[in-house]
Amino acid sequence: MATTEERLRKLVDDNLEIEGRAQGTPLDLGSSLRNSGASSVDLVAFAKLVVAEFNVDLTPEDCDNYSTVGELIAALEA
Amino acid sequence: MTNAHDILVTGTPAAGGWWSHHAGWAGVDVFHVDLSPDAAREAEAFAWLDQDERSTWEKGVPEVRRRFSLCRAALRAILCRRLDCRNEWLSFGASSQGKPFAVVRGVPSPVSFNVSHSGRHGLVAVGYGKRVGVDIEERASRRNLAAPIEATMGPDEQAELAALRGAERLRLFYRLWTFKEALIKALGTGFSTDPSRFQVPARVRSGVACGTFTFPHLPSIAWRLQEIGNEQFAAALACELPSEGLKSG
Repeated sequence: MATTEERLRKLVDDNLEIEGRAQGTPLDLGSSLRNSGASSVDLVAFAKLVVAEFNVDLTPEDCDNYSTVGELIAALEA
Repeated sequence: MTNAHDILVTGTPAAGGWWSHHAGWAGVDVFHVDLSPDAAREAEAFAWLDQDERSTWEKGVPEVRRRFSLCRAALRAILCRRLDCRNEWLSFGASSQGKPFAVVRGVPSPVSFNVSHSGRHGLVAVGYGKRVGVDIEERASRRNLAAPIEATMGPDEQAELAALRGAERLRLFYRLWTFKEALIKALGTGFSTDPSRFQVPARVRSGVACGTFTFPHLPSIAWRLQEIGNEQFAAALACELPSEGLKSG
């Protein structure tokens, strides 16, 4: 079974264009989505896809407020 | 180097630099900011930032840093001129929902502003005493349009987009999205306001460049919409109308 990070990475690969990151490479757990260069429209869509994938209550604002990808993963696993 | 010299030495930035007037409408001025890579400009812009802004800058990847410093320095220059103040007198506060406002020597300013950037283009909108929002999207190809359409568009908007293909579909998507994000930014609530829960007015969707809008959950406040894009980028401006704007439509 895929880990939370693997599932999140697939969503990122399919939906976010992060500056300097090639598709399929590991996520930088210390980076934030806000500062990654992803566009706001992609972040809104990404948040809704995270909700659908992990069955959590999460708004784009919440998603944006996590300082790092690692914090988002920890919240999804909590 | 004229602008940096003006700001740092005399405190009164001149017009020009890497920004220029793009549109003026309903008492709101919109400036275009050139975000093309330029090491000299970026160094000059960085010098104008205060410590908090430099901390923000440090968190970004190189592209994000460039966009942030060039846009924020242009905003500082535009506001210094508008407020007749020196760069070092200017700081920024934020509302409880994160919408920034200008502070001059510790006093909040009635000047309202909003900033957006995408690719090599930025926009700064500046008004007075009314909320403004601006959004820009560089006309770049996208590998995935289905998810953003489903996440951000209302049912009529989705149907209209589904009837189009290729470049036409992408063009309408950017047009609708920039209107929606400009409205959300003007409102100042961030994405706690779900963009799929409201729709751009039908006349505007059909191609009319301006119109009036009210959020379904806030019918007492009217907003004016204006398309301000060109062939390089889609862009929209939203500004709050006085209460009589509801009657004039």
